Amino acid sequence: MDMAKRSMQTQMAGMQVTGQNIANVNTPGYSRQRAVITESLPTNTTLGQIGSGTQVNRIEQIVSDLLNGQIQSNGSSLGFQQGRQSALQSMQDALGEILTNGANGTNSSGLSSQLSDLFSAFQAVATSPNSTSARQALIGAAQTVATSFNQINGKFSDLKTALNTSLGNDVKSANDLLTSIADLNKEIYDAEVSGGTANNLRDQREQALENLSKLVGFTASKDSSGYVNVSIGGQALVTGRQLNDTLKTYDAGGGQMLVQTATGGVNVTLTGGSMQGTIDARDNDLATMQTKLDSLASNLISAVNTVHGSGFSPGGTTGTNFFSGTSAGTITVNSALANNPSLIQTSGSATASGDNSVALQLAQLGSAAQAGLGSQTFGDYFGAAVTSLGTALSDANTRVENEKAVSNLLTNQRGAVSGVNLDEEMSNLITFQRSYTASAELLKTIDEMIQTTLGMKR
Amino acid sequence: MRVANNTYTEQMLQQFNSLKASQYSLQQRASTGLRVQVASDDPTAMAETLALASKKTANTQWTQNIGTLTDRANQIYTVLQSLQSKVSRAGEVATAAATATASPSDLINHANEINAMIEDAVKLGNTKDSAVGNFLFGGTASGATPFSVTRNSAGDITAVTYDGNASVNQTEVGDGQTMSVDVPGVNTGSSGARGLFQDSQSGADFLNHLITLRDDLLAGNKTAVATDNTNFKGDENNLAYQIANNGVVQNRLKTAEAFLSDHSAALDKAITSQSGADLADTIVALSEAQNGYQAALQSSVKVMQLSILNYIS
Repeated sequence: MDMAKRSMQTQMAGMQVTGQNIANVNTPGYSRQRAVITESLPTNTTLGQIGSGTQVNRIEQIVSDLLNGQIQSNGSSLGFQQGRQSALQSMQDALGEILTNGANGTNSSGLSSQLSDLFSAFQAVATSPNSTSARQALIGAAQTVATSFNQINGKFSDLKTALNTSLGNDVKSANDLLTSIADLNKEIYDAEVSGGTANNLRDQREQALENLSKLVGFTASKDSSGYVNVSIGGQALVTGRQLNDTLKTYDAGGGQMLVQTATGGVNVTLTGGSMQGTIDARDNDLATMQTKLDSLASNLISAVNTVHGSGFSPGGTTGTNFFSGTSAGTITVNSALANNPSLIQTSGSATASGDNSVALQLAQLGSAAQAGLGSQTFGDYFGAAVTSLGTALSDANTRVENEKAVSNLLTNQRGAVSGVNLDEEMSNLITFQRSYTASAELLKTIDEMIQTTLGMKR
Repeated sequence: MRVANNTYTEQMLQQFNSLKASQYSLQQRASTGLRVQVASDDPTAMAETLALASKKTANTQWTQNIGTLTDRANQIYTVLQSLQSKVSRAGEVATAAATATASPSDLINHANEINAMIEDAVKLGNTKDSAVGNFLFGGTASGATPFSVTRNSAGDITAVTYDGNASVNQTEVGDGQTMSVDVPGVNTGSSGARGLFQDSQSGADFLNHLITLRDDLLAGNKTAVATDNTNFKGDENNLAYQIANNGVVQNRLKTAEAFLSDHSAALDKAITSQSGADLADTIVALSEAQNGYQAALQSSVKVMQLSILNYIS
């Protein structure tokens, strides 16, 4: 009877584990469990050993540490590429170079076509130097270019601020996860010290590590007590149940927010995750684009002002700058010219108001190689900058897709090991149910035998 | 391979997303006619397209420049024709007045005709560009009226002063290619564009020749009138040159315009080749993507419907 009872308890335990698996079929990060059933110790008799039935030895979690490690490593790579991709996408949006099909065919809606329009407007003035409408159109085209420079520069500045904010949010999330990991280390240890395995808590810790890997690259190691120790950039932040330190952002100068330990104040060199992706895009791609935009604006200002300053307006004035400012953020059309286009200096002679030689030189700047821009024209230089950004984003898109594919592969592999298969669980359920029924039948049969034995007295 | 239940759903969602993204991208191509819209779609094609579009914008402006120059050349041609008839008539008058049968009253009548011709010629010299408003024959000094006159007590023009200059503007009509249709009113130098009324290279000095003829007619000096007649040969030659040159310039403008038109068409073709979507290919690909999406949906539903639960009673 005892054997039958133990068998029923064992099958019941098996059903409970199966039920737990079925209930968590859709729980993210859940690893299936299995009741490890073993034969209970036999009883020694003169006839030899007689089996005493079965027992649940332990509830084990089916996990692969190798796959989990690979998933964390891939998470850092994917996080890095996604962080960079997101920033590059925002930069491309900020540039506003979008091809559209209009009445005049395919053209871009951004600074590229506006620069072409500016030099066309200089051409129109060169063709009709005394035309008021041509001069007004030139001022309009120049103001459009200047406004575009200002807007793109403003969007880049806003993007830099947004990336710093994103970095701060990621640091906060990472700190929350580090705290969770330290807490879970403690809970797991406390739960397991008296025997058994805290499977659910281990799942939660694994999930926290995976989430952390998407934010930042780290080194994790398990010690003999089952604690997972976490180091970021060589700084041991979680040791056992102890949260040694957290992270914070700091201004490395000029608004370049970087990461250091919150209490120790040690600068941390990140190696992956969205945090490093954000920093990388901000300090390399965005900074480079900003420099190129400023270089384009300053060279445009300088070249146009040099030629324009040598010319004469119909009224004989000379030496006036066409553009004011020195960079993409400060470029504007000289307000005196904007208010009075007749002051535009198109003539090469003070006594020939209808001369167009300076206007023609200004127009020809559009196709002239600029020494300050690596001997490229203004349009080619900007086109190259757009292409460079497009290549970086295209490359980031490809890398994200590749990392996602690897992530899917690893996740599927882990699913094959640790995931719940309902068909399998239902089969197990039937197996346990049948065994339970059989054990109950055994108990019933023994009971009937006892009743029969007791009935012999009557 | 063991397949977990949530692997199914996760994979299906990813496949659905991928197929939907593909359909979205293809639908965008079909609706815009563009394969490339932003640089990351195809950085090299984007760079080429921007460069080609910039060239096309320049072409468009050069074509507009040609339009402006052609208008101006036509206006100049109208003046040239008018002046040519006046030069011919002045020669006829001089010839008629120099004959023995010409009476003193005939000479006075001829002088009056030439006087009116001087007034007309000065007006022609001060013609303005109807589009822009600047003077056609003032050179690049277009601020002031090119020809100012001095009159005697009778109100007749006795002298004409040129306040313009002998320079002309160059205008771009192609990549590094400039042209000028302008004609200065006077060029007394040995180089540059020939002057319309006075030009040292051709010996033309139409306004002063007219004034001299009128004065000689008024003086009744038939010998001098006969000499005056020969002066108009230089004016005739100069006008013939100006008309021929105007024709040559207009012809070059037409050639340049035709080249730009062809070049623009070639640029459009190149832009379409770089960034345009092949509609037939796009529609076929979209259809394939839709079929794939439908197949994924159908197969997913069928797979998800089946489980051991259907057979446990």
